[in-house]
Amino acid sequence: MATLGEIFFCTTKFIFTLLLVIKRPLIIIVLAILVCLPWKMVSQTDSTEAKKDTIDFYDMSLEQLLKMRAHGVPNELEKLINSLISVASKKPLNTRESPSIISLITADDILKSGARDLIDVLRTIPGLDFGVDVEGAVGVGIRGNWAHEGKVLLLVDGLEMNEILFATTQFGNHYPLDLIKRIEVIRGPGSAIYGGFAEYGVINIITKQGEDLNGISTGGIYGQGQNDYLHRNAYFAIGNKVNDLEYSFMGHMGDGQRSDQDYTDFYDSTYNMARNSNTKPNYFSASLKYKGLSYRWIADYYNTSMKDGYGDVIPGLAIQETFRSTFHEVKYVISPNKKLSITPRFTFKSQTPWSSKAYTGKEAYNRTATRALGNLTASYNLNRYVNFVLGAEYYQDKAVDHVDSSYFSNDEQEVAYNNYAFFTQGLVKTRPVNFIVGARYDKHNVYGDAFVPRVGLTKKYGAFHFKALYSSSFRAPSIENVNGSSDSLGIKPELTKVAELELGYKLGRRSIISVNLFDITTTDPIVYKTDSSNADLYVNEGGSGTQGIEAEYKLRLKKVNFGVNYAFYTAANKQQISDYSVSEDTSALLAFAKHRVNFSAIWNPTEKLSVNLNASIYGSRWAYTSVDSTDTSVLEKLPSTVLLNLFINWEPVEGLNIGLGCYDILNQKFNFIQPYNGYHPPLPGPSREIVFKLQYNLHFKAKNRKVTK
Amino acid sequence: MRKKQSIVNYKAIVIALLLLCGSFNSAKAQETDYKAYTLFVYNFMKYVEWPEAQSKGDFILAVIGDSPINKELQALASAKKIKGRNIVLRKCNTVEDTYGCHLVFVPNSKSAMVKALKEQTKDKPVLIVGEREGLAKKGASLSFVTEEGDELKFDINKKEIEQHQLKISSQLVSLGTLIN
Repeated sequence: MATLGEIFFCTTKFIFTLLLVIKRPLIIIVLAILVCLPWKMVSQTDSTEAKKDTIDFYDMSLEQLLKMRAHGVPNELEKLINSLISVASKKPLNTRESPSIISLITADDILKSGARDLIDVLRTIPGLDFGVDVEGAVGVGIRGNWAHEGKVLLLVDGLEMNEILFATTQFGNHYPLDLIKRIEVIRGPGSAIYGGFAEYGVINIITKQGEDLNGISTGGIYGQGQNDYLHRNAYFAIGNKVNDLEYSFMGHMGDGQRSDQDYTDFYDSTYNMARNSNTKPNYFSASLKYKGLSYRWIADYYNTSMKDGYGDVIPGLAIQETFRSTFHEVKYVISPNKKLSITPRFTFKSQTPWSSKAYTGKEAYNRTATRALGNLTASYNLNRYVNFVLGAEYYQDKAVDHVDSSYFSNDEQEVAYNNYAFFTQGLVKTRPVNFIVGARYDKHNVYGDAFVPRVGLTKKYGAFHFKALYSSSFRAPSIENVNGSSDSLGIKPELTKVAELELGYKLGRRSIISVNLFDITTTDPIVYKTDSSNADLYVNEGGSGTQGIEAEYKLRLKKVNFGVNYAFYTAANKQQISDYSVSEDTSALLAFAKHRVNFSAIWNPTEKLSVNLNASIYGSRWAYTSVDSTDTSVLEKLPSTVLLNLFINWEPVEGLNIGLGCYDILNQKFNFIQPYNGYHPPLPGPSREIVFKLQYNLHFKAKNRKVTK
Repeated sequence: MRKKQSIVNYKAIVIALLLLCGSFNSAKAQETDYKAYTLFVYNFMKYVEWPEAQSKGDFILAVIGDSPINKELQALASAKKIKGRNIVLRKCNTVEDTYGCHLVFVPNSKSAMVKALKEQTKDKPVLIVGEREGLAKKGASLSFVTEEGDELKFDINKKEIEQHQLKISSQLVSLGTLIN
């Protein structure tokens, strides 16, 4: 354990370091205060714990011996950073050596935060943010880049949630938060493993399965805004593992509202979003697993309503819009010996996203896309230090238009494409450094091929760790990108190169700090335009990218958990797409704050009670908020925003959690900004919301007692 | 055209990183839990059988050089016995000092001495336990491994163990990894 003085010295140096890098002393001073505050608690708690070491270990059984850790019984922080994750490498590695910049969120983090939906959870991750697209849809941005269309892959238990017509994912009261076991986020490219939707990042949601549920889980949320309800959801899950058979079933339904505020378009038409911006999740999932064989089914019917359309207020009643997806997966893990595993996997998904009737300015849209995918992956451990992964994948996409007199660009109501891919990876762990080398090659029958290699060096040396990563990645044009491309120009995958460096240091056993730099360069990005006849057109044009720094500090004490992170990006040294750029500040991009700080402080006065105060602090953001007399959209710099939240969770009896909180205490009414110049004013977010949450877990059998020290 | 002004000073980044790296030297590394290592050593003593001639009198447990494990092994020696025999901890500075010992623990910093120790104890009933990963391949009977997730495990060089006239129980073998 480092002494108080040493820790203080390190922290001071770190803060000075940030001061040198970023000329924003105010933010750094805030960070400095937040980071320095808990030091005294570190010292006190550790010394108290030392006195508790009273149990005689010498009589442990051999089985118990196997649970021993080289660095002692792990505390909450060590459990977190030693968690084995495979999202970045397929081969499980701990977070500090995993070859990507990783964020990990546990079920306990979610429970204690009182998060209402995935947006609340993901916005606490450095570099992740949200903006509005069209028709009230909210999508994700990463490291300053708008990533809504096919640039960030969302996985739920390994199944790709991105709809394949436009490759988007919809956020906001969508996925069953209370049934999430953990979320692994790659804040960098993942194409070398996952292909064309993982260009800038991967969000891997792992839900609770039979063994995790071990019984019944049920609960719900009610959230009341200033003008109307904002959340009212319920969920139910059952699951268990009996010998080699594991099963689960879960359902999550509800009704939420994007906002209860007024939306005003560029021409001063207004409507109140209460009862006109519904977000209704209908998510069902079932899984069955016997030894290596597993089957998974997910039905995700997400229904929304909106009146914002493409920017102008739609007269009359709100338009209902549906995003319907059904997934099937059959997987068999064959392990002929301890060294080799071969996994054939077949998935089928059917998606009907963005489906709505015609409204002023837009035709009806009702297209269904299916993807049948086969994947064969082999993993071979030559020994403890060398692992190889080799795989092949083939998928066939089909899309059908259900609207009379609506056709694809081939003048048919059906299109079909296919794609095959090969991927490989080598991981070598040596004493000085771990090497990882991988690549993926995709060949599509229309837009051609993409080859994306990556190389990484990682290692932890006691308390210190580093990662040096260089990756190529790509965004595969979606079905509608191909359909909307010009015959003469065609369309091809956009390519990205990302360099990342992370340094991390464990300050004693209960806190860790990490800092990473990134540089993203995208060439030939796929850009939406309209042609001379005002028809949709997708083209590869110009370049884009950002550079930046992200820093994260975590402290886990017995009664206090504290975390703070900071994210900064600049687009100053990169090519820019004019529709995404900010003419008044070439270092900024539309919608996303260059500076972001998140902090979370959890106080556990007793084992059954937690009080969480957390905040997301946004620097100024740029948005198009009006039009001038020539109907040209006008930029405006929106002031800094602080989203401050408080949540209290109480477990009066084993398994029952009752939570009460207030989101957006300062009533800042965070706006979702459109990250491109699409004539859509910022979409109001919810007002201050009082949240009540209930969760009950009934276990079929008591879990085994852990070996504790 | 307006000159692009980056708020990031790249020279400063380099200096900052150097400073940051410099600060790593000023704090202690993550502490190894030698109590866990001691537990393993204790079980090695219990589940390895020495020849009849070496199964009487005190059980001599040697550690080469100074190591934080000495304190834990001393606590073990004070608290426990092996099959009714007292455990005596002996601190050794050289390979020769290990003469007559039943078990020799080789700390990380003395890993280079394994080869000499192997020569010195050739055909003698001595169990050589290496702290550093990989020492079982270099002549130690057993060596520790920290797996992903920080789990403490061990490698077994059964050939070496048998050459030292020792018998390892199948229970212990099932917990470790045989390297030959």
